[in-house]
Amino acid sequence: MSDAYLALADGSVVQARCRAPGRTRGELVFTTAYTGYEESLTDPSYEEQVLTFSYPLIGNYGVRSERFESDRVHPRAAVAKEFTDDVAEWLTEAGVPAIDHLDTRELVTAIREDGAMKCGIAAGPDATPEAAKAELAECKGMSEHVDIGKRVTTVEHTVHPGGGEYDVALIDCGAKGSIISSLNERGADVHVLPYDASAEDVRAVDPDVLFISNGPGDPANFPQAQSLVETFTGELPIAGICLGQQIVARAFDGDTEKMAFGHRGVNQPVMDVESGQVVMTTQNHGYTVSDPGDLDVTQINVNDETAEGLASEEHGIITRQYHPEANPGPHDSLGFFDDVLGLVDKGTAVTAD
Amino acid sequence: MSDETTQTIAADTDVKSGEDRTILLIGSGPIQIGQAAEFDYSGAQACRALKEEGARVVLVNSNPATIMTDPDMADRVYIEPITPEAIAEIIETEQPDGVIAGLGGQTGLNVTAELAEQGILEEHDVDILGTPLDTIYATEDRDLFRKRMEKIGEPVPKSTTISLDEGESVTDFDEEAFRGRVQDAVDAVGGLPVIARTTYTLGGSGSGVVDEFDELVERVRKGLRLSRNSEVLVTESIAGWVELEYEVMRDAANSCIIICNMENIDPMGIHTGESTVVTPSQVIPDDGHQEMRDAALGVIRELGIQGGCNIQFAWRDDGTPGGEYRVVEVNPRVSRSSALASKATGYPIARVTAKVALGKNLHEIENEITGETTAAFEPAIDYIVTKVPRWPIDKFDDVDFKLGTAMKSTGEAMAIGRNFEESLLKALRSSEYDPAVNWGDVDNDTLETEYLERPSPDRPYAIFEAFDRGYTVEAVEALTGIMPWYLERFKRVSDSAQAAAEGNFAQAATAGHTNAEIAAIAGGVDVDTIEQDVPGRTYKQVDTCAGEFAAQTPYYYSARQSEFNRGPLKGKAAAGELVVDKEIDSVVVVGGGPIRIGQGVEFDYCSVHAIQALRELGVEAHVVNNNPETVSTDYDTSDGLFFDPITAEEVADVAEATGADGIMVQFGGQTSVNIGEPLEDEIQRRGLDCEIMGTTVEAMDLAEDRDRFNALMDDLGIAQPKGGTATSEAEALELAHELGYPVLVRPSYVLGGRAMRVVHDDAELEHYIEEAVRVSPDKPILVDQFLADAIELDVDAVSDGEDVLIGGVMEHVESAGVHSGDSACMIPPRSLDKATLARVREVTEDIAGALDTIGLLNVQLAVKDGEVYVLEANPRSSRTVPFVSKATGVPIAKLAAKVMAGKSLAELDVDEQIPEDVSVKEVVLPFDRLPGSDPRLGPEMKSTGEVMGTAQSFGKAYDKAQDSVGKPVPREGVVALDLSADEFPDPDTPEGEELADGFGEFYEFSEAVDLIDAARSGDLDLIISRDRDLLEVAVEEEITYFSTKASARAALEARRAKDEPIDVLAVSDRPRNVGTWGGN
Repeated sequence: MSDAYLALADGSVVQARCRAPGRTRGELVFTTAYTGYEESLTDPSYEEQVLTFSYPLIGNYGVRSERFESDRVHPRAAVAKEFTDDVAEWLTEAGVPAIDHLDTRELVTAIREDGAMKCGIAAGPDATPEAAKAELAECKGMSEHVDIGKRVTTVEHTVHPGGGEYDVALIDCGAKGSIISSLNERGADVHVLPYDASAEDVRAVDPDVLFISNGPGDPANFPQAQSLVETFTGELPIAGICLGQQIVARAFDGDTEKMAFGHRGVNQPVMDVESGQVVMTTQNHGYTVSDPGDLDVTQINVNDETAEGLASEEHGIITRQYHPEANPGPHDSLGFFDDVLGLVDKGTAVTAD
Repeated sequence: MSDETTQTIAADTDVKSGEDRTILLIGSGPIQIGQAAEFDYSGAQACRALKEEGARVVLVNSNPATIMTDPDMADRVYIEPITPEAIAEIIETEQPDGVIAGLGGQTGLNVTAELAEQGILEEHDVDILGTPLDTIYATEDRDLFRKRMEKIGEPVPKSTTISLDEGESVTDFDEEAFRGRVQDAVDAVGGLPVIARTTYTLGGSGSGVVDEFDELVERVRKGLRLSRNSEVLVTESIAGWVELEYEVMRDAANSCIIICNMENIDPMGIHTGESTVVTPSQVIPDDGHQEMRDAALGVIRELGIQGGCNIQFAWRDDGTPGGEYRVVEVNPRVSRSSALASKATGYPIARVTAKVALGKNLHEIENEITGETTAAFEPAIDYIVTKVPRWPIDKFDDVDFKLGTAMKSTGEAMAIGRNFEESLLKALRSSEYDPAVNWGDVDNDTLETEYLERPSPDRPYAIFEAFDRGYTVEAVEALTGIMPWYLERFKRVSDSAQAAAEGNFAQAATAGHTNAEIAAIAGGVDVDTIEQDVPGRTYKQVDTCAGEFAAQTPYYYSARQSEFNRGPLKGKAAAGELVVDKEIDSVVVVGGGPIRIGQGVEFDYCSVHAIQALRELGVEAHVVNNNPETVSTDYDTSDGLFFDPITAEEVADVAEATGADGIMVQFGGQTSVNIGEPLEDEIQRRGLDCEIMGTTVEAMDLAEDRDRFNALMDDLGIAQPKGGTATSEAEALELAHELGYPVLVRPSYVLGGRAMRVVHDDAELEHYIEEAVRVSPDKPILVDQFLADAIELDVDAVSDGEDVLIGGVMEHVESAGVHSGDSACMIPPRSLDKATLARVREVTEDIAGALDTIGLLNVQLAVKDGEVYVLEANPRSSRTVPFVSKATGVPIAKLAAKVMAGKSLAELDVDEQIPEDVSVKEVVLPFDRLPGSDPRLGPEMKSTGEVMGTAQSFGKAYDKAQDSVGKPVPREGVVALDLSADEFPDPDTPEGEELADGFGEFYEFSEAVDLIDAARSGDLDLIISRDRDLLEVAVEEEITYFSTKASARAALEARRAKDEPIDVLAVSDRPRNVGTWGGN
């Protein structure tokens, strides 16, 4: 007997097996990565989403907190063909519903055809199709989560020392831990500031770089971060990753739009426009830069030619739509962090010490 | 040389297409252990890719049983020896601009290196395209490789080489000094156990984990003698680590991608070709995977590889989040693993490699599967792939099939599932292997020591058995060293069978069993009941991208639905992602499964031809097969590829889902023929409007039923060796007495002459029955008169029910007593007079008529004293079909498929053709890979593959064929002529004297007292003998030998023809005359 139900926006209800009980709702998305489930499940960018793994067997090598990207599980629920007991126990403890033994390839192809969709989940001994449908009825669209930043950001300013060669102000819109550690490894002290930090807050840490992190949802819901970019342009080198790139583009008179189902996986090919070289990247985004505004597009996605890298030499700005910090995924583009800190060394738009 | 090569490549990279360029592609030669059909697949794919780019392709391969040597695959096709001598002539004639070395396996690489070293490439201004030679050297010379890895900071297993200096030989050392050298090497890598291996060998022959010092000393001694550069490598043993392979691709712009990784279930210490392998890796965390991915990219960049490459790692969990790894080996070319990776992911590695070699960059190459993306991306898969090897264990009683670092398997099966259990069971089913073990007779001690601790072909089955007996995962892990994640899933399979036995069927179904298997486990429950109770199967697509993009390519696998979806799926649900118009005429072609002795690549050739023929007729052709090495499982060979096990149930699923009008079971060898009858039943059970095409299953069955066939031949007035069927020892003895010794004995219904023997007296017959076969009413044996010294013939023909077209008549070089599959043979025959040949035709036509043959017919005949006897007739494809087609130019498999689809031979308007030149088919034998095997030809088939040599005389053609199988007839030197065995004529008879005089004309006779010593010391160049011990040494020392009278005589003819021109000619230029075999 089935003890879990997934209600989809098209009216259908899929039977499944409960692996972690609960009721919830969110935007149903999928990632194609095989490994890195611990990193993905703790990635704040999945806030308000239900994460489907297209790879069928999830949890094979256990669960270890060293591999977490934040201090909690972020997706509203998790879906796979088969979760191991390790993952089931972890998600149960975390209170995040998980379901398996359903045809995840069918879900993936449905998302591919119809776009990321709202869904409702009911899992556990008393789960019913009606309960799943009731959850679905309550589900909001991603852009409607106007306060999403608040739920993923740090509450107060924290410092992650990395040797003191540089000071980076990281605006935490839902930052992955690996962004911080990638900067730390390159000698930078990282000052993590809340998503709604003011210009004064930034000035207070006297940074060499303003860095806008990744994060969940619609970049239009992060007006304060956008205004920081506008404020510090010309004053500080600015970098951004994922949502960060979108916020920076918006600050430069660019625009963003929601994609049909986004890019989520660790095999997205990105070509550097200048060198012609292609690297594999980790991605997790549902919105994209539709108009780079005053910025140059330096890297593009080989599959759909969306903007993967933006830059302004004049203003000392570089951003990436993908996740150069990996975790999960390929390390092909870790050099981005060197490039960011290189902006400081070049003295582009740097405030005097 | 190497620097120049690199520069030439760099200079050429602005030329990105093949326009106006002639490219020489070198194949890998015969199918042998370690080098199987994967190079036909990659070569054929590369040919297409190069032609797409506008290149003129010149192809050379000695193996006629390949698709790549079909006339339309390349602009010029040469079936010639893969030797520098022959290829130099081709280069002279064709003047290629470039050669691609990395697509023809180790054979292709080695010969390219030799051509370069001999200055032939430079002389004719031929560039090496793709990966440069110095890279190849850097990967093959392990010491050099280690240095390159250390340079980029990649960890390799500690190692050292023991090598001989110029002019030094193993015999120069005194024992103590030699042991000292070996001890130093052991100390340098951290003590025993170590791995010892020679460089420049194929499939890791002569290498292995060594625990004992004395054994190591002997290995080193032998290795030094045999290796091409007098080196033996001694390495730290990383036995027990997880073994992984990464398939990597790089273009000239330095873009690199990982196509996939593969994880061996069997721990390090077992050759990856011998391991059960899973894609993608299951037990490696992302950190560890990314570290190895980085290492793989670093290595491919450091080495400057252009195209596909395979990098092998060892990994273990050392407590850190990512674990620790070693780089073990790099294969700078396409390989068996790359074929597997291509089939597992849908990414066509050979195609992309060929285009990269021409100078294209990855993002400039279209991903044909999706049609939306490019080759510059890493495939994502959403299923689990399992590969299991197939070993010739049933053929070699004397060989220890303990798995180790050297390959012994001949082929492999791959399966795709939505969970590991499903993938594993599908793969095991596809391998068609059934352990010859009665588990009930095996006690726990034996189970542990012989079947769990000792890796063997039976181990997966032993693991199930252990769980059936209540062993824990921990206990089995301790015995096997296999990671618990896998063992837990083996246990689920075992548990699911137990549940099925108790009446709960669903779990057994989702674990990958067929409904028929579940019914058998349950006992007394019919398939209809099971079918209603378990989740149905549906089709999923292999799309390179885990569903992210809509794929255009019809590449599918079946998978069970989850337990919430019970009962057979119908219509759209059953079809799943299948895109098919059921109203269109379509046919399912059943393939041949894994390559094994007796059922080789020739049946894939036949299957592919059947598909091509159907498509030429406008009929959609779908194929079911599970061999990842083959052309038939390339995604663009058919209109629909179903990568699934070949069982009646699973083939019927395909027929049902595609709305097939017919199914062809004639082309895939015994594998496809065997499902004919159950498939017919299954079609009826389901009420499908679908027929088995061509000759009826009933007729195929009749041909294999000795008694009914005998009666039929008697009716037709066709002579047969006298014989009969015995169901007990007493009956067998009685029959033998009636017939008179010697008699030929064999079990009925077997493949490739398994367990066939010639016995000379009662004692031998009794021994045979006791030792080799157990005779019983349901396992009868056949006892036949043995026609000594008869001429054996093979005839391949096509019949449409009215007319018969003879593809060719082949005369065997060997006489009766050597299995027809192991005998060299020639087209056209040379020993038959006109009347006999006419009788051969008549017999063939009569049998075709009597069996109502529609399609192919193979007849084996023996001619003695002017009488033509029928030995066997099989109304289906035979292993000689491709040889006949290549020698005569008549594509009989295609004609057969068209006839089966309803065309008449008259409509097809084809003629028989009789070639002017002599083509000789010679076999390649696996004795060098199977230590302890009996290297004498006999009634049991042992060969793994074949070559074809063509010339104006038989002698020269045979000589070329021997060159192609790597057993060249020496021009001069010392011969050991040992005619002591019954097989040979007595030296004192005129026949014996003739043989001795013949060899005496060209060679010195060895005067050694002990021939074995002489062979070991390298004093012999040629051996004619049937002394098993001597021949085993000949195999070890790579000395050409002949073990039968017939082959000795042929060798002598070859020697006499040595000075005739090598006669290298494109297949299409060989002269042939329209004629009629056995006609006027």
